[in-house]
This record gives sequence, structure tokens and C-alpha cells, in this order.
Amino acid sequence: MAVRIVDETLFASTDPPTLRGSRCEACGAHVFPAIGSCPMCAGVDVAPVALPDHGVVWSWTTQHFAPKPPFRTDGFEPFSIGYVDLGPVIVEGWLVGRTQWTIGEPVRLVLAHAWTDDGEAVHTFAFEPGDAQ
Amino acid sequence: MTGHEDVYVVGAARTVFGRFDGEDNDLAEEAVRGALADAGITWSDVQFAVGGTNGETKPDNLVARLGLTGLPFVTVKNGCATGGVALMTARNGLIADGAEIACVVGYDNHARGAFNASPSRYGIGDWYGETGMMVTTSYFALKIQRYLHEHGIDPRTLGYAAEKAFSYASDHPYAWRRKPVTVDEAMDADLINDPLTRFMFCSPDAGAVSLVLARGPRAFDMCDRPVRLASVALRGRRPGSFEVFSTWLSPGERTSPSIDAAKAAFSAAGISPADVQVAQLQDTDSGAEIMHLAETGLVEHGAQTAGYLDGDYLVDGRLPVNTDGGLLANGEPVGASGLRQVHEVVRQLQGRADGQQVPGGPTVGFTHVYGAPGISACTVLTTEGR
Ligand SMILES: [Zn+2]
Repeated sequence: MAVRIVDETLFASTDPPTLRGSRCEACGAHVFPAIGSCPMCAGVDVAPVALPDHGVVWSWTTQHFAPKPPFRTDGFEPFSIGYVDLGPVIVEGWLVGRTQWTIGEPVRLVLAHAWTDDGEAVHTFAFEPGDAQ
Repeated sequence: MTGHEDVYVVGAARTVFGRFDGEDNDLAEEAVRGALADAGITWSDVQFAVGGTNGETKPDNLVARLGLTGLPFVTVKNGCATGGVALMTARNGLIADGAEIACVVGYDNHARGAFNASPSRYGIGDWYGETGMMVTTSYFALKIQRYLHEHGIDPRTLGYAAEKAFSYASDHPYAWRRKPVTVDEAMDADLINDPLTRFMFCSPDAGAVSLVLARGPRAFDMCDRPVRLASVALRGRRPGSFEVFSTWLSPGERTSPSIDAAKAAFSAAGISPADVQVAQLQDTDSGAEIMHLAETGLVEHGAQTAGYLDGDYLVDGRLPVNTDGGLLANGEPVGASGLRQVHEVVRQLQGRADGQQVPGGPTVGFTHVYGAPGISACTVLTTEGR
């Protein structure tokens, strides 16, 4: 099946997957996804940056009911969402592979199947259990 | 000694909250007419009005029902903080425009189920909604999960908060969900988003609240027990806050608009959090009440559980909290919610609570609303003499 990335602008690279954020030249703040200004210091001198692909679970929950549209799915099963501390920034994303997590456990960035659209598999970024680096 | 710059609540009314089949304006009109009657005035006496709703109706068009008196009528729409902003706008309007009497109304009539937000309205790509992350309940869960971890708080505290809310509501004639719930029932119910079960979330519903404000000393001519709006403060988020629909968070110190708004309100009123005898806090979920007890300065971080276990937040406790059942039991008609809090505290300070009355004649009250995309409004209310 053909594969489409849910939104190419989220990625610095998709093989291996790396998220694309932005970094403020003035204060060093990192933001995801990349934007053209810095909400932390109100500066405008920002540049795209590839974010670390490993981190630790900062918080998590499991979604036990199907969200309303525009949520897309091939069939709802409870799934986990978390904030992952990548070091310079904490990023929200899917946690895949289980539905129970522990704050502080190491995870790594992967691509995960999100839904099928007209014979095309749509993939998004997610984090799965992985060794700390 | 009351001054001309002092603003008082001299009339207050609310509708029953819950499901409502009529028009939004029916709700709003019922509340306004109730508040006018409570203040012993008519619409013609009102010189300045503010209306807040997050729905599609235009509050300023209420004049078509209430009377075309030519008064200035300001409309506000600030998410969960709409009521607080409406009250602040009315207070400022009274002081700036030289009016003596103002009317504030907040109302909403929401569809069933969790709020459904569109990513583009928050400046986020479609991917966020398509992948199921544009969900308010997961945000509340993620926030309290982290908070419980950081402060070593027993998750069962979430159940204590739910039990308290429905216990208050069972005695409150205007609350929506009035059936008592035990801690075990709350903890064992279906999970919506770990660690929160279905008894730990408020739901969008319908309701309206209206207040009549007057400047001193006029207030004392109108009302036997006017309640002074000692301060009202509105604050937005700063770096380090954790708000709904955040694709990223900054590492490091956590801030909150609730912390800033509460601090500003207490400072402007010259009153310490320790002086508060009855409080209303934004409890969109059980976890929010736990966090906001500390963010507003009323209780130390980590000390909340002992407060529930010791009965501190009950009507005869040290610090009665959400004495009308809060959002958990009243639901959240967004535009009305902040004014509901003020309504409840006003009635408590006047000694005529609709539900359980705080004994001993409380003289200092506090209210706190908080909502998307990171704003909070707080008030300090007192019963100082003329
Ligand atoms: Zn910056």
C-alpha cells in the first residue's frame, strides 16, 4: 500500500524519522512544529532545527473514547497520548505499543499507521518504548 | 467608608443549569430579570450592560426583549474566562463612564458531549485533530497526571474531589447533577482518560447568570447587604504554562495564568489567601480543583489530599470550596460559568446560600476561572460596611 505522511512539515526527515522544530537564535527556545517567531522571548530570529529522536515520557494518558471528527481512524481502539521530554523541548505525540506508561521511561521516535485514506496508508509520528541514549 | 470608586454586587440571579431546549435568549432573559428583581430595579435603571456567551447569539441584542433604553451594551467572548471578563468589563465601565448601575449577564446552551474544537482556530495543522489529539479531556488528564507525579499526590484525591462536588450539589436547587457519588464509585467508574473517570469531568450544558453592580454609596441605598467587588484581575499565559492544545511545552519552571491572576487579585484587594472563608475554583475536572487550590495560593502544593480528608473544603471546614457543586455538578455553560461562581459567593457572604450555607457569617470570598487558550480571571469579594 502506498504511504503518505500526515503532514510533511512536521518532519526534518522521515527515514529515519526526525521531527522538525524551530530554534530561537536569541533565547535558544525550541518549539514544535516549527514557527516563524519565538513565543518565549517574542523574538523573530528563528531557524528550523531537527529535534532529538529519543526522550522520556513526561506525562501520559490513554484515550478511552473515540474523539469526534476530524479524528480519522480505521476502527477505534483506546490509544495513548503523551508528552515526551526530548531535552530542549517537550513534544506531544502518540505513545504506541501499550496503553499503560510510567513517567520517566525512555521512548524513541517512530512512524505509526494512523488511518487508511482511499487505499493510501497515512502515517504519523509516535513514540514507542526504547532505550535511553 | 465606601468611596465612589467602590463597586458592589447588589443583585444576583441564576437559572437552573443542565439541558435546555429553548432559545439561548430565554435563558439570558430569565437571569437578567431575576437579577433586576433581586436588586429591586427595572431595566430602565441600568446604565451600562455587558453580556458574555460563546454561542452564536448576540448578547447585545437582548435589548430587543429587555427594552430599547439606549444604554451601551458590550459583548465579550473569552472562552472559559468569559464570565470573569464580563464582570471586569462592567466594573471598569462603571468607573470609567461615570455610570451608577451596571448589569452583567453570561449564558450558553451547548450541545451534548466534549467540546469539539477546530485545529485551525488554534493555529494548528489538521494533523492534530486527525490524529485524535485535539481533545480537551486528554489535556486535563495529561496535566493532572504530571501534577500528581510531581507533588507525590495520591490519585485517590481525584475521587475525594468528585465526592465533595456531588455532595454539595445534592443540596443545591440550581445544580445539574445532584446525585451523590462515593469515592469508590468515582474511582471505579469508566475511565475517560487515565487517571480521570466519567465522574471526574464536567460536561458542557446550558445556563445563565446575571449580576447587578452599583457604585458605593448608591449600592447601600439599593441593597441591605451589598457585596463589595474588592478586586477583579485577568491574566494571560506566560512562558512555562501548560495549556490545552499545546503541541509542545517548554522544559523548566511551570507558570500559570491562574497563579498570576490570583496573586494580582489578592494584591489589589489587600487581602491574603489565608483570609478567604469561601472559594470557588475552576474544576473542569477533579484534577483542576486540586491544582487550582494550590495555584491560587489557598493551599500548599501537595497538601490538598489532607485537606479533603480533614473536611477542610466542606461547608463547616476551614476553607469551603465550590459550595454549589462547582463545574463538576453544574456543568459548563461557558459564558455563565464564571458568573455562577460569583453568584454563589455573593449568596454565601449575604447569608442566603441556595444550598449549604457556610456558617459563622463569612466576610471574604474568592472566585477563580481558567480556560483556553491560557487565561484566568479571579475576584475577591468582601462584606465591608458602609
Ligand atoms: Zn526566543
